Amino acid sequence: MRILVIEDDAATADYIAKGLGEEGYVVDVARNGRDGLYLALNEPFDVIVSDRMLPGPDGLAILRALRASGIATPVLMLTALSEVDRRVEGLEAGADDYLAKPFAFAELRARVRALARRPAPQAEVTELAVGDLRMDLLRRTVARGGRAMEMLPTEFRLLEFMMRHPGQVLTRTLLLEKVWDFSFDPTTNVVDVHVSRVRRKLEAGGEAPMIRTVRGAGYVLAPPAPEGG
Amino acid sequence: MRLPGPRSFAPRVALLVGVVVLVTSFLGAGWGWLRAQEALRRQLDLVLAADAEGLLRDYETYGLRGLADAAAVYARRGGPLRVLLLAPNGHPIAGRLPGAPARLRGFATLSPQEGESRLRALGAILPDGSNLIVATDLALVDRAATALAWTPPIAGGLAALLALVLGFLVARRLERRLAGISTAARAVMAGDLARRLPESGTGDEFDRLADTINAMLARIEALVAEVRQVTDDVAHDLRSPLSRLRQRLEAALARPRAAEADAAMLEGAVAELDQILATFAALLRIARTEAGAGREGFVPVDLSALVEGVAEVYGPVAEEAGRALRAEVAPGQAIPGSAALLRQAVANLLDNALGHGGGTVHVVLRPGPVLSVADEGPGVPPEERGRVLRRFYRLDRSRNTPGTGLGLALVAAVARLHGGQVTLGEGPGGRGLGVTLDLRGEAASSAPALPGAAPGS
Repeated sequence: MRILVIEDDAATADYIAKGLGEEGYVVDVARNGRDGLYLALNEPFDVIVSDRMLPGPDGLAILRALRASGIATPVLMLTALSEVDRRVEGLEAGADDYLAKPFAFAELRARVRALARRPAPQAEVTELAVGDLRMDLLRRTVARGGRAMEMLPTEFRLLEFMMRHPGQVLTRTLLLEKVWDFSFDPTTNVVDVHVSRVRRKLEAGGEAPMIRTVRGAGYVLAPPAPEGG
Repeated sequence: MRLPGPRSFAPRVALLVGVVVLVTSFLGAGWGWLRAQEALRRQLDLVLAADAEGLLRDYETYGLRGLADAAAVYARRGGPLRVLLLAPNGHPIAGRLPGAPARLRGFATLSPQEGESRLRALGAILPDGSNLIVATDLALVDRAATALAWTPPIAGGLAALLALVLGFLVARRLERRLAGISTAARAVMAGDLARRLPESGTGDEFDRLADTINAMLARIEALVAEVRQVTDDVAHDLRSPLSRLRQRLEAALARPRAAEADAAMLEGAVAELDQILATFAALLRIARTEAGAGREGFVPVDLSALVEGVAEVYGPVAEEAGRALRAEVAPGQAIPGSAALLRQAVANLLDNALGHGGGTVHVVLRPGPVLSVADEGPGVPPEERGRVLRRFYRLDRSRNTPGTGLGLALVAAVARLHGGQVTLGEGPGGRGLGVTLDLRGEAASSAPALPGAAPGS
């Protein structure tokens, strides 16, 4: 997996490059818009992480140039302007995701992984499966090892998102944004409540746990470990 | 008395008015003078014509001989009327008229030698070819014209002088009032925001202008006070967590390294920082919302679906806390707005009711749309209700519960952005806190809001 990081601030660029490097990605860093655009146009990358404000062409300009050249590499836009309208502007320009600075590294990692794993556009999936967990998207049913479960609509959406990104750490912010379209952090533990409800339903038949809490980061949905998960 | 400087308004206006009045009255009087001369001469011509008529009647009655006698009589008498009778060959038959032409028909002005006054003459050709000329001295007319010639400069001069004085006085008055306004404006500029422009009390244009500017100054003063308040609040509310963070790190530095304790400390520090960042983000969002940012991106928002969606998210949170959330949503309520901000406003209200309130949370969306979120907790005392909508205001009992103290301030800002308003009251049965988000738009918010008499309820 090869990632291009376009970021003019040296400390931030190092922080991102080092962190993603430790995750096993090959990271290229461009320190201005011109180099970034050149690399993005001429080298194959799996994900591009770009600052929005850059010397030379800025993040939005790079994004437009890439999309105009038919390059569909997923782009995660970083910005200090955490505002909704800026977000919309970036997404409209073709960004695949948006992250406000300052961010927790777990948040960046979760989003990069979500983008890197994003399947190429293909025929609509109608069924999701993780381990012995099955989700029928058409009939809106969930079953674990043949045991059917009742899910409330909001729980169903949450589980669907988690099943689409198995094995990835999903942060609370990411879940709020992608599942409920909340572009802010509520003061109450909304995510935890819903995750624990889904978790209880998944384990209601005495099965092994599938949703793991990652301290200080978020949640992971994965098939239970074979031995004493 | 201060001497007006060269750039002063009053003397320049006075001078300008003076010159204009001088020129116009001079031209006016000059025109009158010319007209008067013209009228005098026409009068004279009429007299001449009448005299000639009389003589011609003599001619018709007594013939040329009689006319010659009459002419001789006039010449002898030496009156103002002079008569000259010329034979067809140009020889004088009777009378004397120095400087007369050999033959004259109609009116003419004769200028004899120097020293003698000008003459106005009228000539008539008789049927036998003789030429009768009557003339009269123009000295009278000329003297009158000379006397009247003083009128234009005198009239112009007097009018100009008067204009100069009046113009100076009026301009001086304007200047004084402007100087008063200028002094006050300078004082405001120097930082005295409470200073207001002086008003004379007559209600004239200057008073109306001063009134408008004073209203503007009052608004600016209020805004600056608010900004100052917010800055103080920000400084205060961020200083505490920042100092806590510093103490925590300092204490950790001072003690020997221990992997587990360090990890816990760092985790705590990150949590503290996240809280500070959340406060910043909330402040930014409120500021941008209050500045009206995003209004251009308004789209029709299905408020019913939005409220139902948020209630669905929060229902389990209430249950988990051993409480209940009841939503009663009128279908099909839509307004133009920002879905993201409205969703956050509704979520903030529910966060607030679940975090600080008690008992069942009632979410009701009535047609209008008017949203109310009420709980059955301790509520907010009436005297504190205005303040909880302010940034960072937290009731004493809420100091130790999570939250930035910005939740309701954002709700109020979102309401204003959408042309609505937020009011605080009691929950059902007079218990708890009831927050009403009235989104009926400009028409509703401009209508007089009577406490306890909300229309449509």
